[in-house]
Amino acid sequence: MGQIPASYLMNRLVTLSLTVFIAATLIWIIPRLSPVDPADIMLGRMAAGAGSVANSEEILAQLRANFGLDDPLILQYLKYLWNTLTFNFGLSTASFPTPVSSLIAAALPWTLGLMILSLVITFVIGNLLGALMVWERSPKLVKVAIPAAMVFTSIPPILSGLLLMWIFSAKLRWFPLTGAYGLTVEPGWSWDFVQSVLYHGFLPAMSIVIVTFGFWALGMRGLMITVQGEDYTKLAEAKGLKPRYILYKYMIRNAILPQITAFALKIGLLVAGQVLVERIFAYNGMGKLLYDAILDQDFPVIQGVSFVIILMTALAVFVVDLVYPLIDPRIRHERVSA
Amino acid sequence: MTSPVLTLKDLSIDFPTPTGLVHAVRDVSLTIQSGRRVGFIGESGSGKTTTALAIMRMLAEPGRVAGGSIALGRDQTDVLSLDEEAMRKTRLSRVSYIPQGAMNSLNPVMRIENQLWDGIVAHEGKTDPGELKRRSDAALASVGLPAHTGRLYPHELSGGMKQRVCIALGVILTPELIIADEPTSALDVVTQRHVMQTLTKVQAEIGSGLILIGHDMGLMAQSVDELAVLKDGELVEHGLTRQIIESPEHPYTQELIHSVPLVGGESFLSPAIGAPSSQKSSAEPLLEFREVSKVYGANTALHPMSFALDGTVPQIISIVGQSGSGKSTMGSLMLGFNAPTSGEVLFEGKDVSRLSPAERLHFRKDVQAVFQDPYACFNPFYRVNHALKFPYERFGLSKGAADTQRAMEDACVAVGLDPDLILGRYPHQLSGGQRQRLIVARALMLQPKLLIADEPVSMVDASLRATILKNIYDLKDRYGISILYITHDLATAYHVSDYVIVLYHGSVAEAGPPKEVIGAPRHPYTQLLIDSIPWPDMNRSWGTSRSADDDVLALKKMAEERKTIFRGEVDGFTLRSFAA
Repeated sequence: MGQIPASYLMNRLVTLSLTVFIAATLIWIIPRLSPVDPADIMLGRMAAGAGSVANSEEILAQLRANFGLDDPLILQYLKYLWNTLTFNFGLSTASFPTPVSSLIAAALPWTLGLMILSLVITFVIGNLLGALMVWERSPKLVKVAIPAAMVFTSIPPILSGLLLMWIFSAKLRWFPLTGAYGLTVEPGWSWDFVQSVLYHGFLPAMSIVIVTFGFWALGMRGLMITVQGEDYTKLAEAKGLKPRYILYKYMIRNAILPQITAFALKIGLLVAGQVLVERIFAYNGMGKLLYDAILDQDFPVIQGVSFVIILMTALAVFVVDLVYPLIDPRIRHERVSA
Repeated sequence: MTSPVLTLKDLSIDFPTPTGLVHAVRDVSLTIQSGRRVGFIGESGSGKTTTALAIMRMLAEPGRVAGGSIALGRDQTDVLSLDEEAMRKTRLSRVSYIPQGAMNSLNPVMRIENQLWDGIVAHEGKTDPGELKRRSDAALASVGLPAHTGRLYPHELSGGMKQRVCIALGVILTPELIIADEPTSALDVVTQRHVMQTLTKVQAEIGSGLILIGHDMGLMAQSVDELAVLKDGELVEHGLTRQIIESPEHPYTQELIHSVPLVGGESFLSPAIGAPSSQKSSAEPLLEFREVSKVYGANTALHPMSFALDGTVPQIISIVGQSGSGKSTMGSLMLGFNAPTSGEVLFEGKDVSRLSPAERLHFRKDVQAVFQDPYACFNPFYRVNHALKFPYERFGLSKGAADTQRAMEDACVAVGLDPDLILGRYPHQLSGGQRQRLIVARALMLQPKLLIADEPVSMVDASLRATILKNIYDLKDRYGISILYITHDLATAYHVSDYVIVLYHGSVAEAGPPKEVIGAPRHPYTQLLIDSIPWPDMNRSWGTSRSADDDVLALKKMAEERKTIFRGEVDGFTLRSFAA
């Protein structure tokens, strides 16, 4: 607890940088193992649009030069590393000449908003329900209802999404079918816009929550059973503490610790979005961006999105490493011996 | 003026199980007066903890009180008729519970003082922080812990300190009755004496009744006024401790008293006539340490030491010491689980950390181990046969299925188990004692040259300890296997060993034949260990709480001195330790 030693911070930072560097390198290598030539694809797209392309050889050479595909590999790699670190992921080949970074910048807030909101809701609901499943004093109804609700966990989010759309949008007409905000509102920090975003985001978020809360609930249930058998829980009862106090301060407080690590790992993953959920709700987030990029073989976008995902995961783990000693006194920021 | 603090009348407790009703406690009647200490003694399953939990109304599911009554305190409150909230308020304030697992009894994420405060607040409502602090400091001081302990987290405390925190908690609301459930079973003898004397001191100060649950007759003799002997849920004998120790009436009580191995007492072993043939096949010593040391971070677990165990004549070498003395480190170095920081561990002349894969296989067969926890040694998914059969076949000893079966049966018989009853069962269907004997049987099947037994009997009931030690002794005596016996229990080491090494803080304090080292110790540490053993002898003094405090201080000094006293040699074993 207390101050974070500089050596520990350095050590974590080096790990973070190394992770990001290795990931960036892999992202660069993998597409280069593919036999597809991005210049060919662009030309193909132009040909598909215009019927035929004159001077195709010249255009191809021009494109290759513009994209730096003629440079020696090592130079391409170094350029790539520098650009990646400055968040310059180049131009999208599919929506040429939009910079990839602006595509990501447009999509990321939507995904972060939707996903983090649904993750937080899921985390809270899932862990609470998981805890109540184990707690001896939970109402009988809770103990019957929660396992029954777990059925939803086995439904893929795409189906739950369609189901919710069918019930609440198509039949009841309570929520809009698609989009992230209404067509009539101007994006900006106005109350109307925020309202519209929440209104549009509700169903996609719910479709994620109902299929993922089981993950947390079941994990929490297992952890709670372990904690319930611990001697300190028994002693807490022997101390005559109030049952609710025991539940929060002794049981959940200890059982939640491994779940927090899982939470950090999920944050990174979720930047990728629930690809299919975003797809069916026509929600313009990272998932949809990635999905479209894969369909279009838009390498710069795929690379850029992958990099952002890895960066987010690494950052989330970094943050958890730093805050963990605050929530678990047994973990300390050990001074790293040289 | 004494008054009854607990009256049990015809108490019966049942556990409905799929195979029928189990009567865990049957018609137990007993009265405890204030200020009196009563020991509940019996082996596991005798109903002693179940009775205590019934008084707390904390019986594990599906247990229930089937009959009788429990009356608590001066006003003889009917515990069984209280509602949940009234019962909650009764706990800690009128009857407190000091649990067995000192290591895990405190919430790991909460400071010690917070865990004392929440107990007070749960019973007295919101209390002034200054007042809470004053009371927690006073409670900690009463068990000999400094006030700053309150600011620490449980993992920053030793086992003995944690157990004293639990005692502080048990007395903080001055209850009428304290129930201590094997409060020292996880502690070594020196700490055990310290903790027990702290407990009896604070109990006497507040004048409450005390129930001490345990299975160690020696500890009972030194700690309680009355004894209640339980067997299979029945109270078979109850009376003054002196009277029961000196003239036990029930045969079970007699057995409990006689199962405690004593230093200098009668041997429980039956040595075979004629020396067994040795298993040795190499001219090199069987096991040799060459200036071996082990350092973990800033902590030296083992200071450089050398020894050679020749092995031509099988021997039992005991390594005794408290937890943290480095004895288990020695064990894991011998087994090659850990590489030494400096020096070499040699088995038949070969460095165990540099064996070829083929040599390693031989080494694993030749050196077998028996560990402390008989529960953790079996894979719960396999029948116990698997644990016996698999290594036997893996090491190429089997000559077909019939041979394997015969070898398993022979090994079971050799350790006194009935193969028809044991083989084919799952680990959870066997008792701790049966499991530990199976581990010995398994070691025997592999015909090793050396056995490393690390606290093999510390987790089994006292009545079974002698039997299992006899099994281990027979491995040397009848099968010619040399044994390193690692233990904290000097009395058993006295009986089984040919040579004893007393370790303290990673260096040898005293070494030599057991008659000298344990029978007439010269090193102050060995003397302290022997003085700390609770004897089932009312005329032997166990010291006072003051002397236990002094001894703990004296220990710290000894750690710095690192002096070794050699008490004589035995053939086939040489030891050298290196002074600081």
